[in-house]
Amino acid sequence: MEQLTTIGINHYLTISAILFALGLYAVMTRKNAIVVLMGVELILNAANINFLAFSHYNGGMEGVMFSLFVIVLAAAEAAVALAIIINIYKIFKSVDVSSIDSMKE
Amino acid sequence: MSNPTYTAIFYLFAAITVFSAAFVVFSRNVIYSAFSLLFTFFGIAALYVFLSADFIAVTQVVVYVGGILVLLLFGVMFTNNIMDTDLKTDVLHAIPGTFLFLGILAALLFTFYTTNGWMPSDTQLQGSVVERIGFETMSRYVLPFEMASILLLAALIGAAFLARYDNGGTNEH
Amino acid sequence: MFELPSGAEIQSIISILKSGLGFFIPEIYLSILFMGLIILDLALKGRNKSGILGWATLIGLGGSFYFIAQQHAMQAGEHFFGMYVLDEYAIFFKYFFVASGMFAVVATLADRKFDAEVKSIGEYYALVVAMVIGMVMMAAASDLLMIFLAMELVSLSAYILSGYFKRDARSSEAALKYLVYGAVSSGLMLYGFSLIYGMTAETNILKISMELADHGYDPLVMILATLLIMAGFGYKIGAFPFHFWSPDVYEGAPTPITAYLSVASKAAGFALLLRFFYIAVPHGVSPYEDILGIDWLTLLVIMSVASMIYGNVVAIWQKNVKRLLAYSSIAHAGYLLLGVIVMDEIGTQAVLFYLLSYFLMNYAAFYVVVLISNRTGSETLDDYRGLGSKMPLAGAALTVFLISLVGLPPTVGFIGKLMIFSALLSKGALYIWLALIGVLTSVISLYYYMLIPLNMFLRESLEPNEKSLNPGFLAQLMMAVLMILTIWFGLFFEPLSEFARYSSAMFGLSLY
Repeated sequence: MEQLTTIGINHYLTISAILFALGLYAVMTRKNAIVVLMGVELILNAANINFLAFSHYNGGMEGVMFSLFVIVLAAAEAAVALAIIINIYKIFKSVDVSSIDSMKE
Repeated sequence: MSNPTYTAIFYLFAAITVFSAAFVVFSRNVIYSAFSLLFTFFGIAALYVFLSADFIAVTQVVVYVGGILVLLLFGVMFTNNIMDTDLKTDVLHAIPGTFLFLGILAALLFTFYTTNGWMPSDTQLQGSVVERIGFETMSRYVLPFEMASILLLAALIGAAFLARYDNGGTNEH
Repeated sequence: MFELPSGAEIQSIISILKSGLGFFIPEIYLSILFMGLIILDLALKGRNKSGILGWATLIGLGGSFYFIAQQHAMQAGEHFFGMYVLDEYAIFFKYFFVASGMFAVVATLADRKFDAEVKSIGEYYALVVAMVIGMVMMAAASDLLMIFLAMELVSLSAYILSGYFKRDARSSEAALKYLVYGAVSSGLMLYGFSLIYGMTAETNILKISMELADHGYDPLVMILATLLIMAGFGYKIGAFPFHFWSPDVYEGAPTPITAYLSVASKAAGFALLLRFFYIAVPHGVSPYEDILGIDWLTLLVIMSVASMIYGNVVAIWQKNVKRLLAYSSIAHAGYLLLGVIVMDEIGTQAVLFYLLSYFLMNYAAFYVVVLISNRTGSETLDDYRGLGSKMPLAGAALTVFLISLVGLPPTVGFIGKLMIFSALLSKGALYIWLALIGVLTSVISLYYYMLIPLNMFLRESLEPNEKSLNPGFLAQLMMAVLMILTIWFGLFFEPLSEFARYSSAMFGLSLY
């Protein structure tokens, strides 16, 4: 009970582990490119929770700064990703990752 | 901290985060996924406040909810006709995916709960970090800051190029 | 509560930043070039715009050699509060990446497909330069945050560049695949970084290594973090379990970009891999090392062997030359990893030399592929039939480059492989088996590489017309020079190998 009522680092790590696994599941199983992208955002957020939790419990600023830059980067990546996906949609009329396969082995 | 209200609020936000994230992943409808992601981002922002990273929480709301999520919604609406019922995103390899999901989750949780390898400290981050972020950005993190500006510029011109509408190849003249 | 720093502290921060600036001139120059190209693109009007921009990029990149050369005189050390490190190793890669950026521009200027497909070329050259900046920073980063940002700058530019023919389905598909795999693997890497940060409370790789040495570490967390980080690095170098993107991306992307990705982006991955695993991660015998029986070295060995076998075997069935070279590049990542796991000065020297030789022969091979597809409009193996008589010089040059890629004497590729294998042999019994696998897979590679000259010289063209396809004087000159260089450095490799040995010195390295 002590474990549950006292919020410690493990609580945050558990949430981050769940988000990470969910994000990876979305990436592995979803065919829609936009949902894959959402999965990536979940993974990035899971990493950010880790950084901030570690930073909080070890008193350093590195994790806080790291997570700030990750957010910046996620925005840039989302912009580029959406541009590519919209371009794909113009050509293939689909954003289905598994059906976009014009090149053969 | 073992203040019951504090604990209850933490669990509330943790539940919002986890369940909405699960809904993002398991929902068959892209629009529902995108809106569910909104709650995930808000829940995570609340968790950041618990971690005394107030500035990051605000940035999370502004950038993720205000920027990335809007982009994603635009993407969904551009690439799907809303009136169409065909908003479903099909599941591929669901069974191996589920095993992988459970396996990774178990491995991570086992590692996190058995380890005592995290670097501990007596002094935790307390209070607001806004001033410290400002100071760090302009001292130790000047180089990453400049690097991020180049990255954003490159992403900006690249995304603008790709999404720009132009007809024809070389009929410029 | 946060105390505002005193005036003296602020003065000292300013002076540290100012002194760091002097060690950062090539990067500043490249950043100015990047922005200058965007402005030039907006300012220029008229018919010759793409040519002028290309030459401006070429000259601009060439100018940075002057600033890089001046860095040899500088003391190796960390700057900007441990974000950026200047050492011989970083300088080597600065030359390497600027030269590869220039070569990508040369190949672009030669590629006729750009005139037909692309309406606006300004962003292209700017992004090539942005990618050079990112790769230079990858080789010089000594902080996890800088590593992450630099890698993302390279990745984002590369996504856009590989999708630059935006009306072409294959190019757009290449961009999508590159993006999906890239975003996932960088996410995994980031999660690994967060675990490393949790263990050490540091993000600087030198401090991480000290922290891990002082306090020990939990091997389970360490192996988890290493696995995740390996996903990010493995994606960049295109090694076996993380190679899925590379055949499609290499086939679909514009050919100059394929060459650029296969040489420069891979080299940047190796620059990072070596620095990270040699400095940050603990090695040597420690009580923690052998739990689970796996450590990062074992992972690298598995990756290396799997890449060599997979790349070389799957390449046999390829019908498209660009795709064939993609699989061969997976195999070359495996050979390069062999040099990494030697973990001594000779190994690092061998890796750097191999990268130089790979630079020469792979770029040259792609250059000939560009010239041939200018004339025939195709990259399939069947369309190479009978080209030997129509483009004799191109045929001869491509044959030389492919012999070099196989690793036969008297070419530079032979010396590269020889150095890797001899570095392995000097380490003892287990490594002999690795060297043996390397030699055997090279023999397999002989078969598929030689299919190309076989088609060019010994098989008749499917549609016989005896029209000679002259690729133009400048292109012929370029091919001849590259051909001579490939053989010249195969015979007189001393300067290159000396340069590689000189460049194997990393700041803060206690491994050798």
